[in-house]
Amino acid sequence: MTGNDKLVAELHRALPDGAVTHDEAVLEAYRYDRAAFCPAGQPAALVRVRSTEDVAAALRIASAHRVPVVPQGARTGLSGGANALDGCLLLNTEQMNQILHIDVDEQLARVEPGVINAELAAAVRKHGLYYPPDPGSMDISTIGGNVATGAGGMCCVKYGTTADFVRGLTVVLADGRIMRCGRRTAKGVAGYDLARLFVGSEGTLGIATEITLALRPAPPAPLTAVAFFRTPVMACHAVAGFLGAGYRPSVLEFMDGPTIASVSALTDLGFPDDTGAMLIAQSDSTAPADELAAFERAARECGAIEVIVAEDPAEGELLMQARRLVGVAAERLGTNLVDDVCVPRGKLAELIEGIEQIAAEHDVLITCAGHAGDGNMHPSVVFDQHDPRQVTAAQRAFEAIMVLGLELGGTITGEHGVGELKRDWLARELDEPARWAHQQLKRAFDPHGILNPGRVLVPEVRAP
Amino acid sequence: MTAALLDRPALVERLRAELGKDAVLTDADVTASYARDMMPLAPAGTPLAVALPSNTAQVQAVVRACAAARVPVVPRGAGSGLSGAANALDGCVMLVLTRMNEIVDVDPDNRLAVVQPGVVNLDFRGAVEKHGLFYPPDPSSYDWCTIGGNLATNAGGLCCVKYGVTTDSVLGLEVVLADGEVLRTGRRTVKGVAGYDLAKLFIGSEGTLGVITEATVALRPLPQAPGTLVAGFSDTEAAGEAVAKVVREGIVPSLMEIMDATSIKAAEAYLKTELGAGSDCRALLLCQSDSGGEVAQRELTAIEQVCQDAGADMTFVTDDIAEGNMLLQARRVVLTALELYGVWLTDDVCVPRTRIAELIHECERISAEVGLRIAVVGHAGDGNMHPTIVYDGSSAEEFARAQRAFDDILDAGMRLGGTITGEHGVGKIKREWLAKEIGPIGLRVHQQIKAALDPDNLFNPGSMFS
Repeated sequence: MTGNDKLVAELHRALPDGAVTHDEAVLEAYRYDRAAFCPAGQPAALVRVRSTEDVAAALRIASAHRVPVVPQGARTGLSGGANALDGCLLLNTEQMNQILHIDVDEQLARVEPGVINAELAAAVRKHGLYYPPDPGSMDISTIGGNVATGAGGMCCVKYGTTADFVRGLTVVLADGRIMRCGRRTAKGVAGYDLARLFVGSEGTLGIATEITLALRPAPPAPLTAVAFFRTPVMACHAVAGFLGAGYRPSVLEFMDGPTIASVSALTDLGFPDDTGAMLIAQSDSTAPADELAAFERAARECGAIEVIVAEDPAEGELLMQARRLVGVAAERLGTNLVDDVCVPRGKLAELIEGIEQIAAEHDVLITCAGHAGDGNMHPSVVFDQHDPRQVTAAQRAFEAIMVLGLELGGTITGEHGVGELKRDWLARELDEPARWAHQQLKRAFDPHGILNPGRVLVPEVRAP
Repeated sequence: MTAALLDRPALVERLRAELGKDAVLTDADVTASYARDMMPLAPAGTPLAVALPSNTAQVQAVVRACAAARVPVVPRGAGSGLSGAANALDGCVMLVLTRMNEIVDVDPDNRLAVVQPGVVNLDFRGAVEKHGLFYPPDPSSYDWCTIGGNLATNAGGLCCVKYGVTTDSVLGLEVVLADGEVLRTGRRTVKGVAGYDLAKLFIGSEGTLGVITEATVALRPLPQAPGTLVAGFSDTEAAGEAVAKVVREGIVPSLMEIMDATSIKAAEAYLKTELGAGSDCRALLLCQSDSGGEVAQRELTAIEQVCQDAGADMTFVTDDIAEGNMLLQARRVVLTALELYGVWLTDDVCVPRTRIAELIHECERISAEVGLRIAVVGHAGDGNMHPTIVYDGSSAEEFARAQRAFDDILDAGMRLGGTITGEHGVGKIKREWLAKEIGPIGLRVHQQIKAALDPDNLFNPGSMFS
């Protein structure tokens, strides 16, 4: 028996029937997340876990065999963090998909990692509650994946990211021990904030198998407004003016000219012709009309061509369509390399102008849309993957965008994560002591380096 | 070859050379005043020296010198803590950060500020308020505690029900590590997931992982002047039910405090006034809304209705700021007022918000059992209660009973599904309780993190856990 056969045999013995597979056709389907340009290796086996005990058993075996483990949810990630590694165990949590408890009085939900984000949001909504984190993939991504990447979304400008909603976790550690951290109370400072450390650690420190999330009272249905501008800079000034006056919209999104053109090509939304940028604002406050009136004022003061305030939530949904179609529309144009830089809000105009320049310099199409209220942009480099010149140009443009983001005091990733795609860039963003602290923590949690090795952190060179 | 160990006199000499003579104190009478925070139960040792660095480079110098001498370092702010975390260890160097008290930058466009650890919370609030901005965390000690101490303990306050705790306002940190290197972590952006969230790990680590020398914090627009509501209940359950119902109905006041009968009596005696709650009042709820105008009015009216439905005997709403402040004064004076009866020892448990009444009853039971007065005040909107035990400071026997009550309260909190500390921290009084709450695996992980970032156990060794 080869080492691999032994590993698979042990997994079969330890886990329920049907949980372990090494069928090549099945494995193939689980090798990749949605990142472009990220290599994937050949996994040794796929384990579809159904319980915390399954995860613990798989990790005990992987630890003993020193086999790398790649945790994955729905594989909607955009940084290659869930891609297979050669000889790895793909540990998939999609079947752990139970909402275990919704506590209406305490405004908490306890869920398994495989629960789909939108399903949780709908389930709590039935109780008059609200789970805000809404990554673009919310219809297909899992809470476990959201926790692993610290996912954001459009809600963040008012409500924060996934990290702000995680109260407690059950985590299986590298050697299979099960740890609970965090709490069920609104506040608590007993010990280090381990839950916050696990959120966003992309499967490199442990695997979350149960997640306690804070919920909020459901806000009123939002009202929506859109504003059209001739240039992105005018739109950015409107963002600064609106937020500077102290308003707290529940959505504040930006789309540049090429993005609007791509969406308009897909479906005619009747937008004005000379539009170079648009903003979409929503308010779910108790006085939404006032808030949107302030948005309209800020937009007009910055030279908006047109401002439309929706009469009712249904019309607002129609306006939001434009933003939701961005991904699909861009895919029509070619292969997309979606970036995720976040800059201080005051630098947003410089970022967008810089991206236009990068597109011109590298002779590629870059559409730019994103969460204007957070300074978090998703410039998407569009290219023909069969044209080597374009592939090279796209990669260079992608990197130039990150350099620009860092120069403007920003970060290389606002919400998608580091994964495989940006690990060399993380090493650039962090200073030496921060890199050291990362390595030290990684070693403390995962002494044999089996948990998603080479993700987030460049793999250490180890003595044989 | 390893460097020769620096001996004690040589260490003090080196500290003086690096920081200047006036920044290194060794006179026992003077250093004693830096040896304790505000928690009477916690043990405190005798420090070798007190170092008062003025900048990050000097903090690095102190850390490096202490590492070379293998002398433990205990970081400390104003000493307002309530867990003994900043208490001296025998032979340690107290690293006091109060001289690093500069507000480095207030950036209204990006709504953030960069601040040194020694800035007093209230001074910082005042400085950002001039720019129309708001720094929410407001621990009760806010007029003398420092931002550095707030970060080290992840301090809360009255604002948390709406605005969260200190960690929720922090974007980035500068930290001096155990080898004297300076780590910058976090960001100036609103969002970011580049690497592990080290900032959140250092916040609340009570000086055991590094020395925070600068913080970048997020600010908010200045809220409106608050309107205030007070409601009196002759039945503690009814007050608890009102709190639970406010939460359930999705009303988010900017403050929601509770006082039990003992606290009310103490405050009334101290202020020499009646709070208008009547003599059979068992619990008082104080709420504020800072939403402004009609919205605030709607919120307070809704809360008033909830209180009346729950059986309040008295409710009173005002949008007069002076009147609101007077009502809040009753809450703020409770600890001082309790000094009329003896020395106080305040506890800090956080329970699910639906179980506040049960916790108050448990405190009444414990009070009867130990024969000491226990006043319960707390942040009702968070379930974070501060039962405060009053005892005779000159009686060792009463002190022992107070200690017993302190532990019994923690035990009751845990049984109600709560945590042993909502906002004061673990420090040197709740180490055994922390181990109990997080269990052996959690404790082992804490030890591993400590060993990973502070391999020689230089920072506050044995505090929080050992």
